[in-house]
Amino acid sequence: MFFSSEFLKAKCLMNCEVSLILEHKYEQLQQTSDDPMNQVSQVFEKSLQYVKRFSRYKNPDAVRQVREILARYQLAEFELCVLGNLCPETVEEAIAMVPSIKTRGRAQDDEAIEKMLNDLSLIKKFE
Amino acid sequence: MFLKVQLSWNVIIAPENLQPQGLMLQRAIIIRLLSDFAMKKATKDLGYFLAVTTLEKIGEGKVRQHGDVLLPVVFNAITFKIFKGEILEGVVHKVLKHGVFMRCGPIENVYLSHLKMPDYEYVPGENACFMNDKLSKIGKDVILRFSVIGTKWMEADRDFQALVSLEGDYLGPVSTPDI
Repeated sequence: MFFSSEFLKAKCLMNCEVSLILEHKYEQLQQTSDDPMNQVSQVFEKSLQYVKRFSRYKNPDAVRQVREILARYQLAEFELCVLGNLCPETVEEAIAMVPSIKTRGRAQDDEAIEKMLNDLSLIKKFE
Repeated sequence: MFLKVQLSWNVIIAPENLQPQGLMLQRAIIIRLLSDFAMKKATKDLGYFLAVTTLEKIGEGKVRQHGDVLLPVVFNAITFKIFKGEILEGVVHKVLKHGVFMRCGPIENVYLSHLKMPDYEYVPGENACFMNDKLSKIGKDVILRFSVIGTKWMEADRDFQALVSLEGDYLGPVSTPDI
């Protein structure tokens, strides 16, 4: 839907996954430099601020579990990450965010979507 | 959307960095790759370059004129690209009479025209904002969920611009206490 063919091999990442990777990079820099913010590009700095603010899950175990749960539902990479980023609360909202989960004929019924959303909210609760 | 991509670039090492010790050479290659990566900022196809995550392979070097060595390097990196049709969240940083500008990831110029925020009216003043009859407010620092209607690559600045809309279900100001 969004990808030209060159992107078929690219993997999408959720905000919470990017946050873990960038924060780890930043910590490494802190150990080797007195002024780590000066060592990173503006793109890095702005992105780090963004993913810190827009990550629904912070704990590394929770982040891993979110991907594991979503991976059970035959979603495309892009769909998986949109759901993980926006955390819709209802089936109707999930379909509004990712219309293709209904239209691609993958027998993704409302009940399955409901279960997926429940599992995700459980992770949030126990984080 | 953030993407994990594998890239294959050529890195050029100056002769003074070619030490006999293998580790020093590898260090010079990594330093050069990271600085090239940060300089590049973004490309039209892959979006913004955030960070190199892993180095996969350093190929065989070729000596060029003046003794420089050209080495093919394969590595993984994270990029951010904005796609038409995508639904994202961003933060308002500027309010104008005809619309607002938002930040989204590394992009600063995400524009939402007042024509694309149905029912909202401009409220002038020191803290100008847009408001609808349910008193929902779109002002500075407000988080919005929007859909992307168009993107534009600006070659001169190596930057993207995006046009976005609030027309659609479940779009608009987000009030999530947990983020």
